[in-house]
Amino acid sequence: MEFFSQLFVSGFLTGSVYALMALGIVVIYKASSVFNFAHGSIVAFTAYLIWYWVVDLHLNPLICIGLTLLVVATVAFLVQRFILYPLTGQPILAAIVATLALSEVVAGLVTLLWPGPARTYPSFLPTGNMEVGGIIIGVGEGVNFLICTVAFVAFMLFFQKSKLGLTMRGTAEDHQLARSEGVKVNWIFVLAWFIAIVLAGIGGFLMAFMHGVNQEPLIALGMKSLAVVILGGMESILGAVIGGIAIGVLEALGAGYLDPLLGGGVEEVFPFIILLVVLLIKPYGLFGYERIERV
Amino acid sequence: MMKKPCGTFDETYAQDMSYIRTPHRAGLLVVLFVLVFGVFPFVASDYLLGIMNLIGITIIAMLGLNLLTGYCGQISIGHVAFVAVGAYTTGILSNHLGWPFWATLPSAIIVTGLMGLIVGLPALRIKGFYIAISTLAFHYIIVWVILHGGELTKGVWGLPCDSIELLGISFDTEIRMYYVIMVLTVLATVLSFNLVRTKFGRGFIAVRDNDIAAEFMGLNIFRLKALAFIICSMYAGAAGCLLAHYVGMLTVEQFPLIDSIWYLGFLIVGGTGSITGAVFGAFAFRIVAQIVLFLAPIIGEMLPAVSLSSVAGFTQMLFGTVIILFLVLEPRGLNHRWQIMLSSFRLWPFPY
Repeated sequence: MEFFSQLFVSGFLTGSVYALMALGIVVIYKASSVFNFAHGSIVAFTAYLIWYWVVDLHLNPLICIGLTLLVVATVAFLVQRFILYPLTGQPILAAIVATLALSEVVAGLVTLLWPGPARTYPSFLPTGNMEVGGIIIGVGEGVNFLICTVAFVAFMLFFQKSKLGLTMRGTAEDHQLARSEGVKVNWIFVLAWFIAIVLAGIGGFLMAFMHGVNQEPLIALGMKSLAVVILGGMESILGAVIGGIAIGVLEALGAGYLDPLLGGGVEEVFPFIILLVVLLIKPYGLFGYERIERV
Repeated sequence: MMKKPCGTFDETYAQDMSYIRTPHRAGLLVVLFVLVFGVFPFVASDYLLGIMNLIGITIIAMLGLNLLTGYCGQISIGHVAFVAVGAYTTGILSNHLGWPFWATLPSAIIVTGLMGLIVGLPALRIKGFYIAISTLAFHYIIVWVILHGGELTKGVWGLPCDSIELLGISFDTEIRMYYVIMVLTVLATVLSFNLVRTKFGRGFIAVRDNDIAAEFMGLNIFRLKALAFIICSMYAGAAGCLLAHYVGMLTVEQFPLIDSIWYLGFLIVGGTGSITGAVFGAFAFRIVAQIVLFLAPIIGEMLPAVSLSSVAGFTQMLFGTVIILFLVLEPRGLNHRWQIMLSSFRLWPFPY
């Protein structure tokens, strides 16, 4: 039982980062009905970018944040204006392939700009472990969890209270209605991409801080956040949270209990097997809207 | 809809349905046939033959993906996993049991087809992004199984596979392999052409355009979707079997997720929902890959700072950019341009 709760808690903490990254995908999907397969590459890109500012150029952290936001805004604008806007009205396949291709372009850019072995951030957080009720928690993981929660609450407040957030939610409901109210829908899409990349950046930074700045695992993380979104249901922010934590916990449990039996690497596939099973039972994820269509 | 010159009429149903409708087309096909089987293998170097062999295998795989994604509208980003299943089935049968090619090919096709049915099962209830992700999940699961298959798949060490032996001839050179691959490629293409004109092919198109409307019209969309998955993976299985015999050594690195993405992307570059489009896509895929191989040393000289390992990054960026440009500028792909060219040739000198 102690083993179980240990696995559960550490999975829970990791899952919070997944949830944050998944939120980014949900934001884009709700706003513009585009499922962003490039999330993984963008996670890696932002993690490398922050590493570049901080370690390579020795910039002040505040300037780093400003510069990163600037780059992120530019990327969001370019992607929306030059890739996704021309694809409006094309079948769903076009958007999927576009984001897949974008994902490879970004991944290629990362390989081109920062080749070679993994990087590490300087440690500015306390390391070590603490014990809470017999369960050992890494301090870094705990801090990650706190940062994720804060970021989550901040974005929730943004969507619930601020005028811009409400505009975004309105746009997600109906593009034409929003447009007739004077909302610049294309700029809302850009904003959605901006928010998504910022979320990806926070998630990527936290994960890279724990495990090193390395392209492959970071992209795999993004892929896992796709699974999280599908598990939770694509339209649901609550689904993203629950899906993220569920995947984190299942992964930890799979690694803990099944690895000795099946010989390693189970945590890579276990979430996907669960995903397939859930899709068989609930085709729209746990909290997704059921599709109601007319011909 | 084929635009025909004035005065060309179809007088019987057989004429209306035939593929070879003008004397020019029959002549072109004969010329193409002679070029592919009579001229090219004797003038081309082994290097060019190797590229053509890869293109042939890619065409077979791409035709399958085209039936599933282009015709039936079910998006799969796990196509390479199906190819891997076919290849590893062949490898296991050939390596552990010593089965010959005429036995491994059908077994690989059947096993992969069954796998396609299993993956297709969730697709009966879900659509769009959900299917794409479930095929992605299938890819990860297959890779894990291959890596942890123990003695059966030989994991990271790689599974050796014998070359093809038929009628006492060993197909171990590029040119001999070329004939095997080309014959199967032509067969697969003809089969595909005819398949999309059957009841099922038309059903696929109906499901793609609107599955609910298709269901109202009395089509069994469950069966159609499952069939699309099975046929798609059967093609992939054949491609995988050929690949296994051709390469001779199977490792998991030969089947990266990224290739599934390129298959899907270059299907769009070629033109989705048309057989010629799939063939064009396969050509474009391998030719762009060759251009990259050709350019890589030049770039290495121009930018010494860019190390050799990051040539891979350059490849990714170029491929991705090509796909995005096609999506934005010509979403109907090369095939559309080709058809425009053909019909203007047919109608010349008149514009209509």
